[in-house]
Amino acid sequence: MKFLLARQAAVLAAVALLPAAGEAIYFRNNISWRSAIAPSEMVTLEQARAWGDAAIWVDARPDDEFARDHVPGALSLNEDRWNELLPQFLAVWSPGKKMVVYCSSLSCNASREVARRLRKEAQLPDVYVLKGGWEAWLKRNR
Amino acid sequence: MNQTPDAQHPTLNVEPSTTGVASNIKHRTSNILWRVIDFVVAGIFIYAGAIKAFDPVQFAGDVDNYKVLPWPVSVALAFYLPWLEIFCALALIVRFFYRGALSILGVLILLFTLATIAAKVRGLDITCGCFGHASQHWSFPAHLMTNLAILAALLALLVQSIVKREVAQQQSRH
Repeated sequence: MKFLLARQAAVLAAVALLPAAGEAIYFRNNISWRSAIAPSEMVTLEQARAWGDAAIWVDARPDDEFARDHVPGALSLNEDRWNELLPQFLAVWSPGKKMVVYCSSLSCNASREVARRLRKEAQLPDVYVLKGGWEAWLKRNR
Repeated sequence: MNQTPDAQHPTLNVEPSTTGVASNIKHRTSNILWRVIDFVVAGIFIYAGAIKAFDPVQFAGDVDNYKVLPWPVSVALAFYLPWLEIFCALALIVRFFYRGALSILGVLILLFTLATIAAKVRGLDITCGCFGHASQHWSFPAHLMTNLAILAALLALLVQSIVKREVAQQQSRH
């Protein structure tokens, strides 16, 4: 009985490998196996600050968190209201500006996703994700 | 060829008793109910698997958010887990490798639940990713309750399947 159950599970697990391998090949150019975000797409707080007025700070957190507090001068651009906020954001953007996207912490996903959409959907260059996010900003500014 | 009459089935000239008919109806109703649960659970896993299979990049990020696995493992799981869920769900529907599929899905949902609890305890701001963007704004209790309900259904199906098999084996021995 136990052997039968293990054998069934093993066969199912093996069969699922085939489409998974196919998908991994299909998406090979969309994802890196080495790092979640390429090091070239990450920026530290010090680096971002050094850019001064050349940087546009983009807050990818939900509206209520942005309303509570945010990096001075930051623009809100989250996925919940993407279609509504993106035109407002593009009105402020100008060529040569570097975008620094942040969310709440090192573990959050929103900044990564917003940065990805800015590059892919809005076709904008120089989009960076802030290492450590809002928490890193707070630590340095308390 | 063995011509011994089958003791399990009544012969045609024997009238089934009222209690026998009632028991038969009850048995059929119970079978239909279990099949409904099979389909509901399978539907949930097919939906969950499909939306993750369509966007493995997003799912890899969601797995990575738990901060328990190295990035390459998160990527590998993002490609593999959705298909495992889909195949196991299909196995539930067609009742092929049924108990193996139930065991895998049970282990998966248990691991997802433990990872969600661990992330909550560690204070991580995570996107579960279990049901793609549909579950992005679910609260922690909602996640937990959904996972526990699915786990309970899987366990019930597994126990029912094992009991049914035991009964069938005992009947065939007599």
